[in-house]
Amino acid sequence: MLEVADLSLHYGRHVALNRVSIRVGKGETVVILGANGAGKSSLLKSIAGLTKPDEGAIVSFDRRVVTGMPAHQVVEAGIALVPEGRGVFGDLTVEENLALGAYARRARADANDSREFVYDLFPKLKERRAQYVNTMSGGEQQMVAIGRALMSKPQLLMLDEPSLGLAPLVVGELFKSLGRIRERGLALLIVEQNVKMSLSIADRGYLAEAGRIGGENTASALMGDAAVQRAFLGAPR
Amino acid sequence: MLVAALLSGLVLGGTYALVAMGLTLQYGIARIMNLAYGEMIISAAFLAYVMFSTLGLNPVAGLLIAVPTGFALGYVVYGAMMTPLVARARDRASLEIDSILATFGLLFVFQGVMLVTFGANFTSYSYLNDPVTIFGTTLAANRVLALILAVVFGGGLYLLLTRTLWGTALRAVAVNPGAAPLVGIDVNRAARLAFALGSGLAAAGGVVISMYQTFTATSGVVFTMKALIVVIMGGVGNLIGALSAGLILGLVETFVATYIDPGLTLAATYTIFLAVLLWRPAGLFGRLTR
Ligand SMILES: Nc1ncnc2c1ncn2[C@@H]1O[C@H](COP(=O)(O)OP(=O)(O)OP(=O)(O)O)[C@@H](O)[C@H]1O
Ligand SMILES: [Mg+2]
Repeated sequence: MLEVADLSLHYGRHVALNRVSIRVGKGETVVILGANGAGKSSLLKSIAGLTKPDEGAIVSFDRRVVTGMPAHQVVEAGIALVPEGRGVFGDLTVEENLALGAYARRARADANDSREFVYDLFPKLKERRAQYVNTMSGGEQQMVAIGRALMSKPQLLMLDEPSLGLAPLVVGELFKSLGRIRERGLALLIVEQNVKMSLSIADRGYLAEAGRIGGENTASALMGDAAVQRAFLGAPR
Repeated sequence: MLVAALLSGLVLGGTYALVAMGLTLQYGIARIMNLAYGEMIISAAFLAYVMFSTLGLNPVAGLLIAVPTGFALGYVVYGAMMTPLVARARDRASLEIDSILATFGLLFVFQGVMLVTFGANFTSYSYLNDPVTIFGTTLAANRVLALILAVVFGGGLYLLLTRTLWGTALRAVAVNPGAAPLVGIDVNRAARLAFALGSGLAAAGGVVISMYQTFTATSGVVFTMKALIVVIMGGVGNLIGALSAGLILGLVETFVATYIDPGLTLAATYTIFLAVLLWRPAGLFGRLTR
């Protein structure tokens, strides 16, 4: 469904991504693992249209070319991003954030159904719907960010380090929710530091290293992979 | 005398609030500090004057022409002048500086056209200049109407921004422009519409002002300054802040003029401005973060 080929990106003279190619199938859950600065966020932002990749990149989604589209049009194509740091509208209420999630034309008609699903997924948001988002805890804000993304009726949901800064208990809840989203048939592309949790709900994974994709395998294979164990799971060398 | 001062203060304050709301929209959402804002106001005042004196059109009906004209003008000015600045701006801070320079130039263009067309004389016209009695004091009917119009426009704008998805999207751009595209909002388009909406409000303010005040081709700068003070006092980009700060300023100026000395109004304006900023640096309703 999502095909990324030869995507390169540079900031000034610094090459952040070097001819990266990945794909995500319909309904598939894919994780991208990699050290700090490997270019994971840059990749998601390029797909979402927040940064412009270099010439020669091809990003296609559902057989439509979305390369170089501005971000607000990528949303209309069915790709939603929950960015690193959440990107919520802090001075607006939970309800307003969710309503804005369905701002895209593709989502407006079904806004009520989407909201029901989000409230069912995160009952806390329903309780707190009149609360200003910047007064909420990190975990609650992450729910708002994910809920808002779901409101746009995406076929592909991209999440950039959703567990960052959350307590272990909250992280567990979060991945349970992601599991439920996955069951709905959405494709997920997740960038995570929490390797165990993310591999446990994923089908496949990529290893990102210094702007390149250094490896690809099924989630279960990666879980047992010695290199992954060494790099991310703290196994002895 | 107290009731009279209170009522005049509310009229003046309502006008300030109305005018400041347009500026706060332009600055809060489009990040354009429009130094030609006062000239847009005065242009609309002249338009109302011309329509009244040559076509016999009363200013309330004149609003139906002036406000859409102001909106269209803002839309065109943004497209012609601001779009290139937005395209080349590295970030919103540099856009702010560029826009100050550009609108400073625009100020003189507007002012020059008005000076050539109308000269530098004080202009006014007499519409509904009949006394009405409210709470035991008399007030010109046009002032009462000015207050009513300010309330209608202010209330309408508030409802538009808080009760519609479109208005909520505009606020989202003010709150977090970086995240707005993620929900499908075209930030440039939103900025352009906010700028146009602000210009429409400037036009509304100009028509309202022309109903009860005299004005000249060069009085725009006073209104830009007052609007800026109100915007900063209320908290930048904050509608309720602009509303309250506008009312406070109008009341203070009127009370000082009535009970102390009319010559001290400007001093009073700055005193209260400084006092508010010392007490709350981000304005009455503003937050420092952002
Ligand atoms: N706006 C920018 N300007 C300049 N360099 C940038 C910018 N954004 C990212 N970079 C650089 O590009 C490289 C990749 O950054 P990116 O944020 O994509 O990494 P990441 O894999 O998401 O890292 P992390 O795990 O720390 O979030 C880094 O070296 C970073 O310093
Ligand atoms: Mg990152």
